[in-house]
Amino acid sequence: MGWRWFHQWGSPRWFYERAGRWQLVCGRLALTLLITGSLWGLAFAPIDYQQGNSYRIIYLHVPVAFLAQALYAAMAVCAVVLFVWKMKLADVAMQSIAIMGFAFTALSLISGAVWGKPTWGTYWVWDARLTSMLILAFLYLGVIGLRAAIQDPDQAGKACGILVLVGVVNLPIIKYSVEWWNTLHQPASLKLTEKPAMPASMWIPLLINILGYYVAAAYLILGSMRAIVLERERRSAWVRELVSRA
Amino acid sequence: MLEFQFASLAAFFEMEPHGVYVWPIYGLGLLVLGGLTLDNVRQHRRAVRMIQRNLEREETHEL
Amino acid sequence: MSLERRMLTRELKLNVARPGEIFKPMWFLILVVSMLPLALAPDSDLLSEIGSAMIWVATLLALLLNTEHLFQSDFSDGVLEQWLFLNRPLAWLVGLKLIAHWLFHVLPLILITPIAGIMLSVPTDVLWALLVTLVIATPALTCFSGLGAALTLGSSRSGILGVLVMMPLFVPIVILAAGVLIRAMDGSDTLPLLALLGAFSVVAATVVPIAVSAAIRLNIGGSN
Repeated sequence: MGWRWFHQWGSPRWFYERAGRWQLVCGRLALTLLITGSLWGLAFAPIDYQQGNSYRIIYLHVPVAFLAQALYAAMAVCAVVLFVWKMKLADVAMQSIAIMGFAFTALSLISGAVWGKPTWGTYWVWDARLTSMLILAFLYLGVIGLRAAIQDPDQAGKACGILVLVGVVNLPIIKYSVEWWNTLHQPASLKLTEKPAMPASMWIPLLINILGYYVAAAYLILGSMRAIVLERERRSAWVRELVSRA
Repeated sequence: MLEFQFASLAAFFEMEPHGVYVWPIYGLGLLVLGGLTLDNVRQHRRAVRMIQRNLEREETHEL
Repeated sequence: MSLERRMLTRELKLNVARPGEIFKPMWFLILVVSMLPLALAPDSDLLSEIGSAMIWVATLLALLLNTEHLFQSDFSDGVLEQWLFLNRPLAWLVGLKLIAHWLFHVLPLILITPIAGIMLSVPTDVLWALLVTLVIATPALTCFSGLGAALTLGSSRSGILGVLVMMPLFVPIVILAAGVLIRAMDGSDTLPLLALLGAFSVVAATVVPIAVSAAIRLNIGGSN
């Protein structure tokens, strides 16, 4: 056994062939979980006595916000793998994750804003969470923009890796400073996060959807990675054989 | 535990008084997930087509 | 003459030969600051209240625009390549370059902020706080924007990408500096925040040059 499971990831071909199957599994699982969780949350979870039906947005907002942050960390892990083991697939993953991460960050910002309208009467408040999410969106955009600006894919990957590593070191500092800034300027009356404990009929669908969005992200990232691998490996023998067979 | 929370299906889609906020967000979520999936498929297809074209060009050169 | 001294002398000579590069950011700062009363109102109460924050942001922008092409000329005339063959760590040379840049480009910018402060009728003690925060925070800002410049070195159409990429990383610095200014305005103790800001600058100045040198290595020769 040993390190074989890890070194396999160095082979784009091995990944491309396996990822197709994983993608299928992830896609089906995500679809099942998301339909179950969303329907449950929208139709069967009890109404929130304070916020009314608007709270049902959390079944999308919370999982997406979790993902947005987790994906940046995942990108940083890929950057480490890229620099330590020079694994090209890590760079491919970084490229895919940056786009998905930005999409999920944007989705969480928009859903948060729309949820805010009926809850606090305004789309946007400079709350600590919203602000650090906005900055996260800018960090993702920076990674995407940097890659787009550099032509050579290897060079672009390494530049993005440096940026992601610097970003991930800064992220906790940004988060804490934004929280501190928030208490500095606003009295703590505007707390958005204090909520009474949820009954099981509320949090079980939330849990299902959190899982569902994670698996959906895996599905999307695998799909995007396969396309990028194929394009980057276009000169290799196995890709030529694969395409001419198709 | 699994009890339909609305009086009718129409009330469910109306989701008084917050349907205007809830439904567009779920629509947008669907759009994002679907859009990204479609984009992946398109990108994959484009890569395959590009490689095929390159192969064909090489064959005509060899002849 | 040691290598370090020769490098700094070279920077000095280059900057004396092209003084426009030093004056442009100062010009920019004063221009931005004069736009504020025009856009807002000549009401000096409001101006003095938001003036210090405005000057801070304007200085930040001037610094960023100024640092955008920090390594460009050294890159295109091959000086950066020579750096690789010197018997000094690349990060050390990068650090020297950043110090020179701070001395010749950022310091003049800081020295001109009192004029901007008088234009916006910022109270004197807040103006002092502003100067101190700028002196303490700009080393970190210079390092980060230097990293932005180094990362976008290889792309010809990067535009202001380096600025856009690095700006989110300035959030903690801006927040801390704004905290100092707010405390200076109501006369409370600013020292703990200044210490934090200083710590940030020290850490940035030691760690970021390493990242910058990695980015430079990336753009020279690509593979190594």
